[in-house]
Amino acid sequence: MKHCLIVDDSRVVRTVAGRIVKDLSFETSEAGDGAQALAQCREKMPDAILLDWNMPVMNGLDFLRALRREEGGKDPVILFCTNENDAEHIAEAIRSGANEYIMKPFDADIIESKFSEVGLI
Amino acid sequence: MQDTTFNEIADLALRYTGQAFKASKAYLMEARLSTISRREGFATLDDLAHCLRARPNPRFEKEIAAALTGKLTGFFGDRDLLERIVTHALPERLKQSKTGRLRVWCAGVSTGEEAYSLALRLSELTDTALASAEIEIIATDISDDCLATAKAGTYGHFEVQKGLSIHRLMKNFMRLESGQWEISQALRAPVTFKPHNLIEEAGGLGHFDIILCRNVLSDMTPNMRTKAAGHIAAQLLPGGLMFSSSTETLTGLVEGLNPSRDVRAAYARNGNDGAVEAA
Repeated sequence: MKHCLIVDDSRVVRTVAGRIVKDLSFETSEAGDGAQALAQCREKMPDAILLDWNMPVMNGLDFLRALRREEGGKDPVILFCTNENDAEHIAEAIRSGANEYIMKPFDADIIESKFSEVGLI
Repeated sequence: MQDTTFNEIADLALRYTGQAFKASKAYLMEARLSTISRREGFATLDDLAHCLRARPNPRFEKEIAAALTGKLTGFFGDRDLLERIVTHALPERLKQSKTGRLRVWCAGVSTGEEAYSLALRLSELTDTALASAEIEIIATDISDDCLATAKAGTYGHFEVQKGLSIHRLMKNFMRLESGQWEISQALRAPVTFKPHNLIEEAGGLGHFDIILCRNVLSDMTPNMRTKAAGHIAAQLLPGGLMFSSSTETLTGLVEGLNPSRDVRAAYARNGNDGAVEAA
């Protein structure tokens, strides 16, 4: 079973996204900020990461850049999932190594479509 | 909703669009007419039916029939089919073409996503003969509301995130202040939207190399389906191909129209001359 790490400082969003991703037959784990996520990735690199932008301690973009420099850090498929939905933020995320970009609010169909776009399902 | 109301509206749908409404789909009728009904100030469909009986109004009836048709659509709704068209069907047609011009008809295009998806996919071609071909896409629907949305080319947050990768979205759409996304001028250019009722003859649209007809015929009664399929197939150029959705079949509907030997899920006219007649 593939593993998806869900990184968001909102427990509600983590729970909702987690349910949707589980329905796509993924095993899930959660992190509340970028630093927690990075620590988890060093333990075990996930196949996919659903990543919020604005979070305390370490934000999503800083996490993404740090992860891509780690050993094996280029492997996970990273999908931003954020309220930042202007062209500049999206372009910056893609330049920094994100594979897809989900604009909140999202629903199950959007997550499924985006997972399919990047070949996860 | 009273039985008489359901029957009258179902009969109206049958007359205008050939659509078959089973009694078990009464909820669908109510859902699809809720916007019109509210706009016209009717509390219930019974009131709407009563008004139609008292004062017949063909324009309003047509609008109701159009609102009752299925609107299932989406960007890259059938990715495999688009790929077959772009990588097989259109290149083959281009080889046989003397003018280098090709025509595609999206029949029953709803709010336009299918036509724009084809235009988008074609715009991504480089270094192929097809990339420099002149391809005209005619997209028709019976609903003026749907066509208005299609022509405006603006889609919501949820629509553009289903079927479109972020790269395709950023490259081909612009985000408006309203939060809607507007499709680029480059993708609008090859597409022309026109009103057309599929149960009527389509000679005015001209002839086509490729016809896409997905998720429209299956809602019709068998008689109307045969009639509509005949009208549509009559616009197929010799050697042209007609496509339905993967869950529909056109086999046996139109004499002389048979599954293509070369392209999966496509239908071709037999022979190279003679009109295609309804079976």
